[in-house]
Amino acid sequence: MPTLLDARGLVKHLGGRRVVDGVDLACESAQIVGLLGPNGAGKTTTLRMLYGFLRPDAGSIHVNGVELGRDLVRAKRAIGVCTQDDTFDGDFTVEQNLSIAAHYFRPRPTALGRRVAELMERFDLVGYARDKPETLSGGYRRRLMIARALVHRPRLLFLDEPTTGLDPQARMGVWDLVDGLRSEGLGIILTTHYMDEAERLSDALAVLARGRVVARGTAKTVLGDLVGEHVVVIDAAQGAAIPGWLSARGRGEPASVLGVWHLPVSGEELAEFARAFPALRYEVRGPTLDDLFLKLSLQP
Amino acid sequence: MSWLRAALEWQSRAVVGRHLRVYLRNWYTSFLPPALEPLTMLLAFGAGLGGYVASLTWHGRPVDYMTYVAPGLLAYATFMTAIFQSLFGAFIRMRYQKTWEGQLTTQVELAHVVWGEVLWAGLLATMYAVIVSLVLVGLQIAGVLSLDLRWLPALWPASFVAACGFGALGLLFTAIVPTIDHMNLPVFLVVLPMGMLSSTYFPLEHPVLVALNLANPLHHLCQAFRGVLIGGPAAGHLAGALLLSALLLAVLVPLDLRLLRRRVLGD
Repeated sequence: MPTLLDARGLVKHLGGRRVVDGVDLACESAQIVGLLGPNGAGKTTTLRMLYGFLRPDAGSIHVNGVELGRDLVRAKRAIGVCTQDDTFDGDFTVEQNLSIAAHYFRPRPTALGRRVAELMERFDLVGYARDKPETLSGGYRRRLMIARALVHRPRLLFLDEPTTGLDPQARMGVWDLVDGLRSEGLGIILTTHYMDEAERLSDALAVLARGRVVARGTAKTVLGDLVGEHVVVIDAAQGAAIPGWLSARGRGEPASVLGVWHLPVSGEELAEFARAFPALRYEVRGPTLDDLFLKLSLQP
Repeated sequence: MSWLRAALEWQSRAVVGRHLRVYLRNWYTSFLPPALEPLTMLLAFGAGLGGYVASLTWHGRPVDYMTYVAPGLLAYATFMTAIFQSLFGAFIRMRYQKTWEGQLTTQVELAHVVWGEVLWAGLLATMYAVIVSLVLVGLQIAGVLSLDLRWLPALWPASFVAACGFGALGLLFTAIVPTIDHMNLPVFLVVLPMGMLSSTYFPLEHPVLVALNLANPLHHLCQAFRGVLIGGPAAGHLAGALLLSALLLAVLVPLDLRLLRRRVLGD
């Protein structure tokens, strides 16, 4: 598969702080790369550098073989961007939003009328063609934003939290669309806070924390590397001895959610835990990306 | 000088094209203010206030107040249209409509957005100047004014250049005011004094005002328009207006760009 995005050693300082610190990221055709991390991890800044909004202080970005720093305009011809906030043009109708976006690209998209009609059909926007975007529901606004990002037939699509604030049905509608775009060969960089979304859609994950990529790979390998094989779930009220057991193994306090501890352990540790606390009642489950976020947020 | 080259690139024209398309869609409401405003102003200042003003002396010959104030209104329309477009119009597009952010996700860069706003302020103000000119022609035919209208169309390119300079000034405030409520500060501290204390409505005689207005492109624009439309020396003021406007562009567009880069991109 051809590499559509190849970013190496990205560094960015904002307000005197090193927000992004040596990030490498790659995306191939027909691949969805999920970019994850807690708030303040540097996701948005990384994404903004990748789509040419911000200039990196160090590092290089190649899009479809073109170096962004050398020929930004040519590189951006291959990029489609769906920002987290709605940035459609409120002075135009839904249909006009697609055609006006095409005017900001050279070479101009060919057969524009047909392309707009095709996108209106595919994103189920035909019934709203003459409406103003602000009258649409959240799900349809997102559809318009994604359709607009595709009007010039890009090869690489950036989706910044595309389903935030949507109801489950609308989210799944967007997932279907994104999945369809991947199968057509589009490379997609996706940021999201929804762990199920990242797990279901992404072919590969890159996890950012404090401006660095701390893990990459499939959801399973990332979780295995960063969280552990199992998670012990136990009522904090009945586990008074557990912090001491953890401390003896050089580990800090477990993550606590609503008075329940979520304790990631390896297979070996799980056996030790069972031997150490035979009378405790607890649940053992597989790790999720929520556990990863909890773990990252607890790290100094 | 990449900021200067951006003025001529297709992306800046695409931004202007977008604004023009929005404007022309509402042409019937858009054309009303420039047509009605000079009529109201001429009625208020000419027929109303002018009734209490004896005729003025313009380069040694008497002119009635309405004839004196008409070229000033043409220059004032250029100034106010450009400033308000780049102040309120641009601020709303930047802050509330997020039009800029949408444009920046395409091949358009911030320098093109800034030039697009400046050139649009210039184009819109020139369109307003043309409409005000047509109103003046109508009033001349009606016998209300005594202007020399032979060179009237030659003033429109000067309106465009000056309006681009005023647009760059408006964008400076757009770049620095925190909220739309704070727009009152530049409006009352800079825009209105610059507009009202120039030679738009009355001849400048106070030495302080005369000295201050040497650096005011609007003053030179008024006097140049007056020289052409009433008769009198115009070349010096025309050169002054164009040079000061070019200076505004050369100094303020890079500054606007720098401030807006921080504000819009966070860089």
